[in-house]
Order: sequence, then structure tokens, then C-alpha cells
Amino acid sequence: MTRGKIVLGVLGALLALVATVRVAAWLVRGEYRAPHRADQAETTPRDHGLTDERAADEKADQARPYVPPDYRAFPKIGSRVAVWVLAQLHLLFAAFVLAVPLFAFIIELIGYFTGDPRYDKLAYEFTKLLSAAFSLTSTFGAFLTFALIALYPKFTNYLMEIFSPTFLPYVLLFFFEAGFLYSYYYGWGKFSPRVHLFLGLMLNLVGTAIMFIANAWLTFMMSPAGVSEKGALLSLRDAFMNFTWMPINIHRMIANVAFGGSIAAAYAAFKYLQAKTDEERAHYDWMGYIGNFVAISAFLPLPFAGYWLASEIYAFSQTMGLTMMGGAFSWLFIIQAALIGNLFLAANYYLWLGMGRIEGAGNYQKFIKYLLIAIALCFAVWATPRSILASVSEVRAMGGSTHPVLGYLGVMSAKNTAVNILILSTFMSFLLFRRTGKEATVAWRRAGNLAQQAIFFGAAAIVIFFGIYGYFVEARVRIKFSVPQVLSVLAAMVLITLIDVFLYRGARQTGQVRWGKLPPISQYTLIFIAVSFTWLMGLMGYVRAGLRQHWHVFGVMRDESVDAFTPTLGFATQVVSVTSLVFFALIGFVFWIASLTDTHGHGETTETA
Amino acid sequence: MTLRVPLMVRIAALVVGTTGLYTYIGQLVPQKQVLPPQVIELPDDLSTQDMIPVGQQIFQGKGLCSTCHTIGKGSSAGLRFPDLDGIGSRAATRIAGQSDLEYLGQSLYEPDSFVVPGFNPGMPAMNKPPIELTDQEILAVIAYLQSLGGTPSVTMQTKLRWVEGGS
Repeated sequence: MTRGKIVLGVLGALLALVATVRVAAWLVRGEYRAPHRADQAETTPRDHGLTDERAADEKADQARPYVPPDYRAFPKIGSRVAVWVLAQLHLLFAAFVLAVPLFAFIIELIGYFTGDPRYDKLAYEFTKLLSAAFSLTSTFGAFLTFALIALYPKFTNYLMEIFSPTFLPYVLLFFFEAGFLYSYYYGWGKFSPRVHLFLGLMLNLVGTAIMFIANAWLTFMMSPAGVSEKGALLSLRDAFMNFTWMPINIHRMIANVAFGGSIAAAYAAFKYLQAKTDEERAHYDWMGYIGNFVAISAFLPLPFAGYWLASEIYAFSQTMGLTMMGGAFSWLFIIQAALIGNLFLAANYYLWLGMGRIEGAGNYQKFIKYLLIAIALCFAVWATPRSILASVSEVRAMGGSTHPVLGYLGVMSAKNTAVNILILSTFMSFLLFRRTGKEATVAWRRAGNLAQQAIFFGAAAIVIFFGIYGYFVEARVRIKFSVPQVLSVLAAMVLITLIDVFLYRGARQTGQVRWGKLPPISQYTLIFIAVSFTWLMGLMGYVRAGLRQHWHVFGVMRDESVDAFTPTLGFATQVVSVTSLVFFALIGFVFWIASLTDTHGHGETTETA
Repeated sequence: MTLRVPLMVRIAALVVGTTGLYTYIGQLVPQKQVLPPQVIELPDDLSTQDMIPVGQQIFQGKGLCSTCHTIGKGSSAGLRFPDLDGIGSRAATRIAGQSDLEYLGQSLYEPDSFVVPGFNPGMPAMNKPPIELTDQEILAVIAYLQSLGGTPSVTMQTKLRWVEGGS
């Protein structure tokens, strides 16, 4: 092989390699290739602008200071109505949970001293309603607290700053209340009677203390004290024990008992209507009677507690007092009169029906028509407005918005007289009921009866005298007349009861009480009374809170929200009605839970005789 | 054959009917929505005569004066607070050595310093919560009160002693 051949061979091989590479490159040219991507995006002036904007926003966001909102909105119904409904539901259940232990304890105590097991059974029956009601009270309390924090943060924060030292005692008391309540209920028949009564007593004391603390918060909003003009706390003691604190404490305690009694009576009515046997009917008839007795006994002194509260409101602020009685809320008291009139009529009707279950009731039933006339007249006077809605021609014919005759019945002199006579008449119905089927045997029975009559008519005469005299004196003198009117009625009720207790001690039984023999209408009357009480609680709760008008804390912290106005009474009554209906739906659930304890459990068999 | 309505339905009807009745009663009474008071901006060059109707408006509205005080309801007998008919002329004679302007100013800023014989104290200071009239609004009210039986002399430039810089 020559050198030239070798060189040609190498060149040929190189050319073949190049040709192979070129052919191969030509063959794969259509194959997929990833698109070319630039390392940096090509930017336009708009992109630059947007980037700068985003950067500026981010920077602004980071630099933004924390500004707490004053208010937040609740969808659809608004924050005020949401808090209103929650607060009312919480208060209704709380009232029930505070009231029932009070009279359950008293009934148990009566059973302990008399040795009559029926009372113990009745007290237990009332207590059965508490367990589920207590849970609902707590649930709505939590709802309300969260709603206040979420919807009214600035105002809630202010209240928390003023009252934070009261929170720990409140929570501790609540904890103790739960302990006492459950041990009182589940420990029935398991502890010695004295220990059990002690638990009941503690339950009541703790419950009352809780209410007193919560009342300080709400009354501070209404009649603030212990703070500077700008709202700075000066004295927690004064803020706590403000003008309306104690009147509200007393008013609420009495009202709670009246309300709790009526709800318990409604439960008994429900069970009576469901009852299958005479024995059940007799038991629930008695329970309904006791519940209603508790309700009406507490209801009678309630207007007097209301007078005290109203006078404290006037003492705190004439502006607020006049707004209540002569301003935006004056017509609310006409609605209240209609409610209370209905309550008195229904309570008396139930008592009169109840007389029918006692043999030999005829002696006293003849008085019913006179009582009915007195009650109806007083109701009419109380519900008469001072000025009336009239057309232009009617106003001209009357010579003003006040009716020439009926206008005289619309003033406080007439109304105070009417309500005091109403109370006296209802008290008489109780007395007649109490006497039915009995005959006094004491030697001084004639003198005793005469003394009772003299006291009754004497009290009525004092009430009517001051009622008429009030038209002839100055207002500053007239407003003091309610005191002797109230005192004479209270004194009459106490004295007549005292005489009656001794007069009928060891009385001869002339007729048996046939428990369970009442017509069904009597039980519907009890339910009507319970609904009316509930609605009344809602209405009066509205006026108490509404009196602050456009203030969260009257004169200290203004309401700047969109709801800072006083709604119409028509709207307020709609909210009260919806709340009452929700309450009754829930209390129906409580009744159902309570009635489950009467039924046999799964797998248990009924013990047959 | 009689139709038996279940017990729960009867009770529900009673509850709904009763609340319905009370709601209906609530619709029968006068319906008034009360709005929070607004501050009335008064121009400094408002004449005394122009201040009178503004003062009357405040008297009947934001100031809540007419809630307690009447005008032209006769003697004080039976009234809880003084009738203000003729107050424009009476104001200068209430307290010896005090002009009507001073007396009316004192009545609005410090109502408890002098209480008309025969009446109880109870009027709130108009410049403080809950009513909180501004100094200008109080001047307008004074103009209106002076017009009730007297000759208005107050102007928007009047500086009462309760106002900063006043004498």
C-alpha cells in the first residue's frame, strides 16, 4: 500500500463522515423541538406600570396601621335586631332558670316541714324543666357575647374595660351554679333532705348573685355612674351600683318568679291536656294551680317595683323619664296596659273556673260578676290614652287631640287608681278561691270577716280618694300620691291574708276539692297567661333598652351605627313577637326533654300491677 | 264525624294567635321613628330675627324642651314644669340684678342654680349629654325664648359667660 492511497482513504473516510452527519441532520430536521425561550421576558411599558402598582400596594399593605372597626354589619336583619333577639332569648331562658329553683326550693321546704310527699314530688317535677333550659341559657349567653364582640366591638370593648374586674367572679359563680343545679336535680332522693335543701338554697343564692352582676352591666348602659363626662372610669363601685341597679334587681327578681311560674303552669297545662288517667290529670291540675298561684302572687307586687324603677329613672334623668312616659315611648304603655289587663282577666278567669272544682262553691261564685265588672272597668281606664288618634274633623269636634271626657281617664291619677283597684280585685278572687269549700270555726269569725271587709273597703277608699284629689293639686304634689295608694293596697293584702290564715285555721271542710275536674279551657287559659307574660317581658325589655335612644351608654357613648334611631312601636312589637315564638318553639323542646324522664327506656318493660 | 285537631296544633294556634293579637295592637298605636338629633350649622351672620325660627325648631326638636315645657297652657297649677308663655319679659325680673339674657343663659347652662318656686329641679344642662346643644344652638333658643313676650336682643356674636371667652 502506498502512502498516497492511505491519505486518500483517510480523506474519503472524513468526507463519508461529514456526509453521514449532513444526511442524518437533514433526516431529523422535522422532529419536535422545544420552543426557544428567552431568559428574561420581554417587558412593555404597561407591564412595568402594573408591576410598580403591585409593589406599591404591597408596600402600602405592609405599612397599614391596625384600625379596629367600630361596627360590623349583620346580614339581612341588621346588627341591632340580631343582638336584640339573642339578648331577649337569653334573658327569657335565664329568667326561667333563675325563677324555677326559687319556688321549687320553697315548695320542697313546705314538703319538708309538712311531711307531705306531694310537695316533694311537685318540686322535683318543676326542677326537671331546668336541665335543658340551663343549657339553652348558656348557649344564648355565648351567642350574645360573640355577637356583641363581632358586631359592636368598640362598645363591647368599652364595657369590658369598665367591668373587667367583675368577669372572673361571674364565671366562677356560673361554674358553681352549674354544680349546684346538677347536684340539686340529679341528687333528688339521694342526699338527706337537709343536704338537698342546702343545695337548693345555694343554687338560689348563686343564681341571684349572677343576675346582680349582669344587671350592673346593663343598668350602667342606662344610668351610668362612676365615670367622667368623657367616659373614663372613676369608681367601679359607683359604676356597679348605679341609679337603676337595685330597682332592676328587685323588679327582675319578682318578674322572673311571675314569668317562671307561668311557664311552669303552662307545662302542667300541656301535661294535663295530654294526660290519660284521672290520677295524672289530678296531679297536673294541682301543679298548674301552684304554678299560676306563684305567677300571680309575684305579679301583684310587680307594679310597685315598677313605680320604684320609674322614680329612679326620673331621679337619674328627667329627660329619660319624660321620654319614657311622655315622649317616644308613651304609647308603649297603652300596649302594656292591654297586656296586663288581659293577664288580670285571664288569671281571674282561671281562679273562677277553679272554684267550680270545689263542692259548695256557690256561696262565693255570686261575687264573681261584681269582680268582673270592677276588673273590666279598671282595664278600660288603664288602657285609655291621654290623646287619641283622630281625623282633622274629629279633632275639631273634640276641641283638641284630647277627648273632653275620656281625656280625664288618660292621666296618671286615673291610671294609678285603676291599677290599684285591679290588684285589690284580683286579690279578692284569690281570697274567695281560698275560702271555697271551707267554713271558719273560730269564735271570732264574724269580727274577723268584718275586719277584713273594713280593711278592703278602707284601702279601696284611700286609693279612690287620692285618685280624685290628684285632679285638684299641682303635679309636684300629685306625683307623691302614688305612695299612699300603693302602701294602702300592700298593707290591705298583708293584713287580710294574716287575718284569713288565723280565721281558717282548723276550718271545717264543707266540700272536697276535685283535682283534675277542670274543663280544658282552663288549661288553655294557663298557656295564654304564659304567652302573655313572655310577650310582656319582651316588650318591657325593649322599653328599658330603648330608652337610651341613640346612646350605647346614655350620655357617655353615642351610638354612631346605622341603627342609631328608635324604631316604630309597630316594628318593635314584630320583633318581640318573633322572639316570643322562637322561645315557645324552644321551650316546647324543653318540655319534651323533661317528659322523656317519664317514659320507659329502651328494653325496659312496664311493671304491671 | 267530628274532626279532632291534634293537641300540638291547638297549642301552636293559641301561641301564634296570642302573639298575633299583641302584634296587631302594636300596629294600632301611633308609629313614629325617632332619629338621632343632628347638629344644626348656623351662619355667624344670622340676624336676630332669623335666629328665632331656628330656635323654635330646636326647642321643639333636638332640644326636647317641649317634652316638658308648655307655651300658653295657663297657670302653673297642674303642670310639672313652668309654662314658658311670656318668659321673654319675665326673664329679666326673676333674679334681681340679672338681665333676661343672663337668666335664660343660666337656665340653659346651669338649670339647677335657680329653680322656679313651686317646681322641682329636674332640667338637664342643655350643653351636656344627652341633649348636647352647641353654644350657637343655645343662642338661637334664647332668641326664641326672648321672643315669647319680650324683645330679642341676642345675636350670634353674643358671648355668654359659660362659653370660652365669654363674660
